[in-house]
Amino acid sequence: MHWFLEPGLWSNDAVRTGVGVGGVVAIVSALVGLFTVMRGQSFAGHALADVATAGGAGSGVLGFSPLAGFVVGALVGAGAMEAIGVERVRQRDVATGVVLGGATGLSALFLYLITLNSSSTGSTQLILFGSLFIVSKATFFVAAVLSAVVCLALAWLGRPLLFASLSPDAANARGVAVTRVALLYTVLMAVTVGLSAIVIGSVLSTALLIGPPAAALRLGRSLSATFTTAAAFGVAAVALGVVVSYDSYYWWPSHRALPVSFCVVTLVVVELIAVNVVRRVTTRRIVETRE
Amino acid sequence: MIPANVLRMILKKTCGDRRATVVVLGLLVGSLGLAGCTSSHSTPGVINVVGAEVQYGDVLAQIGGAYVHVTSIVNNPNTDPHNFEASPSVAQAIAAAKIIVQNGAGYDSFMNQLESASANSSRDVISVVALRDQVSAANPHFWYSPTTMPMVASVVTSDLVTIAPQHAAYFRSHEATFVRSWRRVTAALVTARHDVAGNKVATTEPVGDYLLAAMGLDNLTPFRFQADVMNGIDPSPQDIVTQQNLLTSHAVAALCYNAQVSSPVTLALRNLAIKDHVPTVAIYETMPQGLHVQTWMLSEISAIEAAIAAVVTGRSQ
Repeated sequence: MHWFLEPGLWSNDAVRTGVGVGGVVAIVSALVGLFTVMRGQSFAGHALADVATAGGAGSGVLGFSPLAGFVVGALVGAGAMEAIGVERVRQRDVATGVVLGGATGLSALFLYLITLNSSSTGSTQLILFGSLFIVSKATFFVAAVLSAVVCLALAWLGRPLLFASLSPDAANARGVAVTRVALLYTVLMAVTVGLSAIVIGSVLSTALLIGPPAAALRLGRSLSATFTTAAAFGVAAVALGVVVSYDSYYWWPSHRALPVSFCVVTLVVVELIAVNVVRRVTTRRIVETRE
Repeated sequence: MIPANVLRMILKKTCGDRRATVVVLGLLVGSLGLAGCTSSHSTPGVINVVGAEVQYGDVLAQIGGAYVHVTSIVNNPNTDPHNFEASPSVAQAIAAAKIIVQNGAGYDSFMNQLESASANSSRDVISVVALRDQVSAANPHFWYSPTTMPMVASVVTSDLVTIAPQHAAYFRSHEATFVRSWRRVTAALVTARHDVAGNKVATTEPVGDYLLAAMGLDNLTPFRFQADVMNGIDPSPQDIVTQQNLLTSHAVAALCYNAQVSSPVTLALRNLAIKDHVPTVAIYETMPQGLHVQTWMLSEISAIEAAIAAVVTGRSQ
């Protein structure tokens, strides 16, 4: 194991905080993301991430913590998307696109203002692509509390949300307030995207929201098993991503480590590919035994 | 500018036609606008010069004196110069310049783009990296090397003499004054070497490395860490731990941090240094206002020296 878990890995503060924050956020992202995938809202999730970028960049201009900026930005984005086009499905797509474009323009302005008015360096990297190894303990604490709140809210909202996600008309007929459930869910998704942004950056944050749940859903297991698998996939991608990034320091004489966000997102993609390969092999076997 | 009588004539001739009046008035406003843009830079006998960084602009001003109009482009000591973005007024200053001093080595590559946008064969572009007989450098903060500025002063002088030979004596006497005052910097370095050479320091960024080396100090921070902070990349967790250990184990006498380039990593290091009673020294990347290159270097040298001397006397007691 020595070749895999390099010396000093677990005694390293940055690694421990990174795995802690990343693990907690990966679980929340997987649970919330399962509904995102089932409801076909991946694009909305990505638009929220773009607004979170503007929020994170804005917090840099004002000197607040990026986490606060990400979460507030995504919440504002969720509100804007709901306010513009909640009536019809076709309008929803346009609303999402409009919010996305506007937010990206604002990010460009804020990132420019940061370079113009402050000494802070690497803000673009930190906001767009994440800096998991430099997350402070205070941010870890806030992220853990927010994650717990999202999980509790999801547990409370879960049953009507599931019903409304799988069969909106039937849910409506049974007296589920489908629009209100959808709004509450968008809020939860916004907070989750904000949390995910501090782990792998706002641009990549949908990878944790969509990837592990999509992989878990491909396995086609029972509902509770799918939740557990999605969370496990998320945590595995983050934890392994941190270890690979840490280890990559020793791979080249220049000691140029791979960025942790790259490692995490690559592992999410690897998980998706692996699940698809496994699924194809097993379905073929089922077909063969039937014949 | 169009003479007033010609204008009056044009106006008289075209007064009947309303459209023509509008056109003439438009042209008038336009030409006034153009004149307004250039007049401040085209005072007769004054040579427009540009320092890509304010510290080079200062040398240009010290040599050129009353015969130059200096525009310094990167001049804000409160922002990270590596993130600088040029504005249209910068392009205008470059287009009008006869002499440009720029750092090179990728530090101010926006200058090359603006210069090629307004190609001008009569313009002299002095690249400091080339003056130092280098093509590129891992550490581009050349102005902290004590040999750089006298070289810049000498090349600037000969360029000015070529452009305005009638003021040759004036420029040469200013260069002599510069060289004389720079001797205070070299003298301070000799004293510093005597007092603190051999001590070890940590840095957040390579900004002052040439000066630290000239003082005989040993910078224990891995260069990879310094370059990562300079380039806005997150240092690896391994390098962060190395850096933290330098401070907590008191392996270094001081932490020299770049006052203009801060990130969560550098802020955490400064707090750690303060907590562990390791003196911290602010190194400026861009010359602060109200200083000249000589006084700036002297103040940095004495700040570093004082921080280390405090630790050394503390140890011996």
